[in-house]
Amino acid sequence: MMLEIKDLRKKFGKFHALNGLDLHIPQGSLYGFVGPNGAGKTTTIKIMTGLLFADSGKVMIDGTDVSRGLNDLKMKIGYVPDFFGVYDNLKVNEYMEFFASCYGIDGLKGRTRYMTLLEQVGLEDKVNFYVDSLSRGMKQRLCLARALIHDPLLLVLDEPTSGLDPRTRFEFKEILKELKEQGKTIFISSHVLSELSELCTDIGVIDQGKMILSGSMEEILRRVNATNPLIISVLGNKDKALTILKSQPCVQTIAVKDEDIRVNFIGDNQDEALLLQQLVDAEVLVHGFYREQGSLESLFMQITDHDKEKAVLVHEIESGL
Amino acid sequence: MKLNPVYKRETTVSSRSFRLALILAIFNTILALVVLLNMYSVVERVKLTAEIQYSSFTNLYVFVAAVEFVMLMFIMPALTAGSISGERERQTLDILLTTTLKPWEIIWGKFTSSFGTMFLMIMSSFPLLSVSFVYGGVMIHDVFILLLCYLAVALLCGSMGICFSTLFKRSTIATVVSYGVLVLIGAGTYAINAFALSMARMNIKSTYVMSVGGMADQTNSGAFLYLLLLNPVATFYAMINGQTGDSQVIRSLNSWFGPHPDNFIMENWVVLSIFIQLVLAAIFMFIAVKAISPSKGKKIRKIK
Repeated sequence: MMLEIKDLRKKFGKFHALNGLDLHIPQGSLYGFVGPNGAGKTTTIKIMTGLLFADSGKVMIDGTDVSRGLNDLKMKIGYVPDFFGVYDNLKVNEYMEFFASCYGIDGLKGRTRYMTLLEQVGLEDKVNFYVDSLSRGMKQRLCLARALIHDPLLLVLDEPTSGLDPRTRFEFKEILKELKEQGKTIFISSHVLSELSELCTDIGVIDQGKMILSGSMEEILRRVNATNPLIISVLGNKDKALTILKSQPCVQTIAVKDEDIRVNFIGDNQDEALLLQQLVDAEVLVHGFYREQGSLESLFMQITDHDKEKAVLVHEIESGL
Repeated sequence: MKLNPVYKRETTVSSRSFRLALILAIFNTILALVVLLNMYSVVERVKLTAEIQYSSFTNLYVFVAAVEFVMLMFIMPALTAGSISGERERQTLDILLTTTLKPWEIIWGKFTSSFGTMFLMIMSSFPLLSVSFVYGGVMIHDVFILLLCYLAVALLCGSMGICFSTLFKRSTIATVVSYGVLVLIGAGTYAINAFALSMARMNIKSTYVMSVGGMADQTNSGAFLYLLLLNPVATFYAMINGQTGDSQVIRSLNSWFGPHPDNFIMENWVVLSIFIQLVLAAIFMFIAVKAISPSKGKKIRKIK
């Protein structure tokens, strides 16, 4: 395991930011960390990066306890916050050189390292440009290169693509995929759920300081799909199909729209297969039989039942974020 | 020797800025004009009266030294008060703290770069100070004591600026609070002594003794005088008076707040006050390091 968090708790006054958080991230995975505002995402990240101490609980990175060996762990973590964090009057190469020296990487070694990274993020031709003259997307890529200067094992990104245009976001995602292929473990917190479902191998949903859902992306999406209605498209003989459906114990509700019958079906794959078999045996002409595809957004809405967050997500979904 | 990365970056940025060169040029031009005009008037007086007033050159030394001192007191907090809050405003402090740099290295890098700028300004005006040595002036060890006094006030004002910069989120507030505390130390300790002296005189006036013995002249501000050990202005005044006039520091202070008994503190006033100010500076630096170090009680700030 690259990152293990056990029963993490943190209080700010009377407010419980983290309430017994558990988290496990396997090595080499791209982990999406999702949660509504105030759920405890940033607090978790701040504790992981050593910017904040937890009240209780354990954070282990690559087998080392953060509270004990933070200085050694700083070499293993690369942190990209949700802001650019750049300096005025400093050129790209000076910016990279500065952070290289903050990690004790000086001289030729530092120069070679940052030039490789700038090439990787596509900023090799901007070496002599002033950092504040770069576009938002370039600044974000520069921040990513900066976080990689000491070749960390774990890369922690807090809302890395917020405020970026779709093209820059796509380029950024491609860089992340490339980094994953290089063996880096990437922990990414984001509100843009559609993006996470495309990118991440694992995902965790946090709400009110607790992990409420965690697992591999495939597994989670399968669970989402299992709760979605079954869409059965039939040609003619709809009454016969409805009679069969009504007799099924797994069927909860039935709705008919044109040729499609939407069925809330709580059975597993085998139950679905048996239902299809029955329909075919009864000579119902079935030309479509599938579960409606679920999305991370719908799951998120279900499990974090806060009206405000729904509004944010609806806005995100509608605006195609 | 490996340079502190924060110091290196700060000096790169400040040396690139036109502002520093402009401040140096304006400051030294004004100082040079005053010094050279003064020198010219002295020489003209010599031509008229055939008499050289050596005290004029000493006065020139006092003038330049005092201007530099005031400049140190007022520029140093301005240079440092925005250092850490500026990092916070740029949202780079958290990034710095996640690197292997220790909090004290960040504070030290910030302080030394501001101190370096200040030192450059002081040293650039030293040739003007040397004008006073044309016909006399002070001894070389006096110049070293002056430098020590400058060092103490620069450390005190600089560390105070950095400390408030770590405690307040905004540079403007940090700067205002730094000046406020500086005024409190400078004018506040003076005001307390003045108040104590006037209270003492009022008490004496109400007694019969005063009317027969003239005791009012013997009143003093009491133990409150030792509060002036914290005051860099009092240190400078005592030191410069010791160098150019009264060789005894005690006389300078007694002229302010009445005669005080001669003791170890009074005899070693300048050295002790410099030492106390350095201790105060160390306390401010310690608070600054603690303030930026991650701790259990620190609240998170997330700026979207």
